Amino acid sequence: MTKYAMAVDLNLCQGCRGCMTACKVENNTVEGNFWMYVFRFEEGNYPDTKMSFLPRPCQHCDNAPCVKVCPVGARYKRDDGLVLTDADRCIGCRYCELACPYGVNYFNWQKPEKAQYPIVDWEDPDLEAATGGAIPPYKNPDLDQLWGEEQRRTAGGGNLDGVMEKCTFCVQRVERGRQPACVETCPTNALVFGDIDDPETPVSNYIKKNRTWTLLEEAGTRPSVYYIGGKPPSREVSEIERPKATV
Amino acid sequence: MVTETKTDRSLPQGVGEFTPGWWAFTVAAVLVLVAGVAAYVYQLIEGMSVTGLANTGTQGGATWGLYVVMVEYFIGVSLAGIVLVAFTKVFDIGALRPVSRVAVLLTVASLMVGVLSVLLDLGNPLRGIINMMLYARPQSPFFGTFTLVAVGLTLTSLVYLYLDGRPDAARLVEVDSGLRWYHRLWAAGYSNTDAERARHRRTMFWMSILVVPLVVIALSTEGLVFGIQVGRPGWYGSLQGPDFLALAAASSLANLIVLTVIVRRIGGNRGQLVKPVVFRWLGGLLLVATAVSVYFQIVETFTLLYATPGGERQLADALLTGPYAWIFWPSLLMTVAGLLLLVLQAARKKWNVGWLVAASVLVSTSALAERYLTVVPSQTHGMMLPYEPGSYFPTWVEFTVVAGLFALGALLIGLFMKVFPIIPLNDIAEEVKLDA
Repeated sequence: MTKYAMAVDLNLCQGCRGCMTACKVENNTVEGNFWMYVFRFEEGNYPDTKMSFLPRPCQHCDNAPCVKVCPVGARYKRDDGLVLTDADRCIGCRYCELACPYGVNYFNWQKPEKAQYPIVDWEDPDLEAATGGAIPPYKNPDLDQLWGEEQRRTAGGGNLDGVMEKCTFCVQRVERGRQPACVETCPTNALVFGDIDDPETPVSNYIKKNRTWTLLEEAGTRPSVYYIGGKPPSREVSEIERPKATV
Repeated sequence: MVTETKTDRSLPQGVGEFTPGWWAFTVAAVLVLVAGVAAYVYQLIEGMSVTGLANTGTQGGATWGLYVVMVEYFIGVSLAGIVLVAFTKVFDIGALRPVSRVAVLLTVASLMVGVLSVLLDLGNPLRGIINMMLYARPQSPFFGTFTLVAVGLTLTSLVYLYLDGRPDAARLVEVDSGLRWYHRLWAAGYSNTDAERARHRRTMFWMSILVVPLVVIALSTEGLVFGIQVGRPGWYGSLQGPDFLALAAASSLANLIVLTVIVRRIGGNRGQLVKPVVFRWLGGLLLVATAVSVYFQIVETFTLLYATPGGERQLADALLTGPYAWIFWPSLLMTVAGLLLLVLQAARKKWNVGWLVAASVLVSTSALAERYLTVVPSQTHGMMLPYEPGSYFPTWVEFTVVAGLFALGALLIGLFMKVFPIIPLNDIAEEVKLDA
């Protein structure tokens, strides 16, 4: 049976944040929402400092605290390991966000048209003539589809107002045999994704050959994201270059 | 001694008399309520971005803010009313009978307003109601909030208020007034025969016994919402449930005292039915509840301070010296001041209504601050992954909506007092008999 997982090789990650951008393009997330996020850490005192990076997608936990607390079962775990959000059922209570120790959940505080990056004047009449008034001009049509055996919505799909969203491991790509957008875009192949139930897949081999650790093991969440190299982030590190992320 | 008997031609306790003072109060409350509704409609149209809320983590905000604080506060305020009345009935404490209806009314009003606060906080309020009926999961602590509190306890308190009022309603039917239809509806055929009275007593006795565990279980789920979360500093722990109840007891008794004083004051002669012994009882109970609540606070703060895990330490710093210190210390000071006022009065065995109200206001305000400090700081500080600390402050929209909630609660109570006697007639008559 298929069981999806991701390996993140911190020896290869150069902190370029290309995965974050690819995710935003694929999933049309609004300003300030980072389903994939890459921490840039600094440790030590100048001049003896060391930089390190930590990509943080949703951990798609086997013992997912967000699934446990959802009062209506909008957050659900599929047999193939994906933890997804049924945006049609979500009541917007945001309990999942508080239950998650990783901070991967993003609530949509307003309509997506109003939460786009101010790269252009979205109200500009010339722009409206070209785009037909659609904000943003292009939306990934796959996001609105129903996926999996359950035939359920998988995330905000088009970013609805007042519902919770988060990383889906790009379920719309995975179900077509493709890799998640972040994995496909990574220039150093630091992200490896696939079925760990099949011993022949690259991700299985990667996890078998390397020593791995998971994020916040003490929380008992049993994540599906395995880290290689580096070390779990401690309180000694401080975050630098946090992207602008307001609502 | 003022007594009311069935020979009175007019309705008792100002029922049906819409005085200028009452109109002034009502108009003011309606205005505030309208402002609150307008602010909420604005929030519905614009989205919750008009609040000060933001996502935790990279957005550096708090995802639960003032609305959830008010849920916790209001639902906490519902505790003492009905429990106190239940004990009054079960243990036959005659002295507290005059405040039994005020107490249940406070429970009903605060539950209604508290449950409304839950809906205000939802991104999809309508779906919140429908999907909870279609897809509710009992494994989620929110299930307790939606079922035990929002439906079970609220309806039980309403039924309690209704049943307990039937003998009085039957008595009011005998008065020829414009509200007679309403009192007839309330009495629903009850006519104070001996058999009915015996059955009424039996019903209220058993209902009183059964309501206490319901209140304790239902309200504990409000603490559990936080207590079962490992992902946040300062939340995980078995104390959250009992701690919620302790603070709820203190804040609800404080509110009950203030409300009782108001009833007594505006009741004129009739208000004198609430005798000083009532305040001795309520004051003593508030003293105990506040002391227990302070004890819990101290235990929790020490645990935070001594804990080595990074998140807890960061949270403690934020509370004691960081961005929340301006709430933490005044809140602590208010609790201690309130406690001192109560201890002094208890020691002198002399309860002064003015000082009791002062203590109540201090305790109730600090309870509100306490709820804020439970809900908010654990989201902005000490996250398990090294996100930068965040911040949260409510916007005018949240403040206006919350002011509307208070106005709604006050309106419910104010309106009730004009259609039904706030001091039970039946019990008073009995007590007069006992005194004689």
